Amino acid sequence: MNMDRRIVFILVALAVIIPMLLSVNLPVSVSEPTQKFYDYVESLPAGSTIMIGFDYGPSSLAELNPMAKALLKQCFDKDIRVIGMTLVVDAPTLVSALIQEVAAEKGAVEGEDYVFLGYRPGEIQVMLGIGTDIASVYDTDYNGTAISEIPMMQNITNYDQIDLLVDFASSDTVESWIIYANVQYNQKIAAGVTGVIIAQMFPYLQTGQLVGLLSGILGAAEYENLVGAPAKGMQWINVESFVHLLIVVLVIVGNITYFIHRSREA
Amino acid sequence: MKRQVPLVLCFVFGIAMIFTRFSPHSVSQWIYEEVISWILIIGPFALVLATVTLIQTHTTRIRRRTEHWQYSLVVFAGLIIMVLIGVPFGPQNSIFEWLYNNVQLPMDATMFSLLAFFIASAAYRAFRARTFEASLLLLTAVVVMMGNVPIGDFIWNTIMSWSPWTDKVSEARQWILDNPNLSARRGIILGVSLGVISQSIRIILGIERSYLGGGD
Repeated sequence: MNMDRRIVFILVALAVIIPMLLSVNLPVSVSEPTQKFYDYVESLPAGSTIMIGFDYGPSSLAELNPMAKALLKQCFDKDIRVIGMTLVVDAPTLVSALIQEVAAEKGAVEGEDYVFLGYRPGEIQVMLGIGTDIASVYDTDYNGTAISEIPMMQNITNYDQIDLLVDFASSDTVESWIIYANVQYNQKIAAGVTGVIIAQMFPYLQTGQLVGLLSGILGAAEYENLVGAPAKGMQWINVESFVHLLIVVLVIVGNITYFIHRSREA
Repeated sequence: MKRQVPLVLCFVFGIAMIFTRFSPHSVSQWIYEEVISWILIIGPFALVLATVTLIQTHTTRIRRRTEHWQYSLVVFAGLIIMVLIGVPFGPQNSIFEWLYNNVQLPMDATMFSLLAFFIASAAYRAFRARTFEASLLLLTAVVVMMGNVPIGDFIWNTIMSWSPWTDKVSEARQWILDNPNLSARRGIILGVSLGVISQSIRIILGIERSYLGGGD
């Protein structure tokens, strides 16, 4: 028996809409990779510097924006300076808005507590260039202010002054950061990635090349829990729960009908 | 000559960059930093190449009136409008931001959101326990899928409330990712890395020439 796929589509839509309307709130436990990520950031003293690569576009913002937001809140609360940048051409506008939103909420000052460098083409070239001199890649920030005129960048030249590099990614940029920033320059790296590429990341976590890892919406929800600021991640993981449950039920139904059909044929 | 020059350049720079990795000498490091600067300058030319290719492809479609050629006009409209606003006024221009936030962002997000519907439909049709291997894949997928969301542990903890074992679904998911998944991924990474090394040596030595185009 083959269910009309339009029925499946309607069921998925209902599995999204109903939990959203009912505001379901399931308990979320924290996984080890997320805890490691959080603990590493917590262990950094005030005045440390984190570089965040916002390497995702609008298609993945639902999964990655919540975790980026939670990390930014943690950084600004702890007086950790943030350098934002991106390797994705259609990311700057959404990243700039995200950083400004969190900065306004936490009272962080642009140029002193954070800077957003924007986008530069050439993934590997940018990674290697930052290793020699950030100003050789980014002569100005996203607003066009010269790097030499930005107060928080006065003592930051390359990876040597960056305590942690975090990559929020929807593609293979994490692996490139590991090859070019970690292996070549010994840069500590943590990552937050979409659910579809999470399986690729575990070898790097085990070797210690990643100090922590956030996995899709679940990772975002866990991190929001740890930071003590439940938001979109917590809301959406509850919605995602019901979609996953629906898919499992559909798979079970599909297999039952398959076996019934096969036994009739035999 | 047209082929010899790129081959010589590839050989010289390939050997030079390998050499800089193994020598901490100041001259070696100077060469490394200089070449990185060159790469930063050369890299953006790929954008020009990509834009020219895009224009050529869609111009041909419009000229030949191939199926759905009208969409190529939309491509040009998007390209021209964004370039005309973005290049002279910058990405922080209010019209550019409006177009990004109200056209590009929702369209991009919508396209990706549709995947949920197709994945659900595909899972219903394709996940069948036809063989032992398929059954194993099916079971693993179900455990990882349920371990990836809090409802998995919620159901487990409700059913197994009489026992001391809690959160076993997310633990099982973590075990699958940490063990079988990790082992398989590591094997793939090692295989790919060895392939990349051997291919790089072939390119540097001029044995592999397909990057020059035109066969040979």
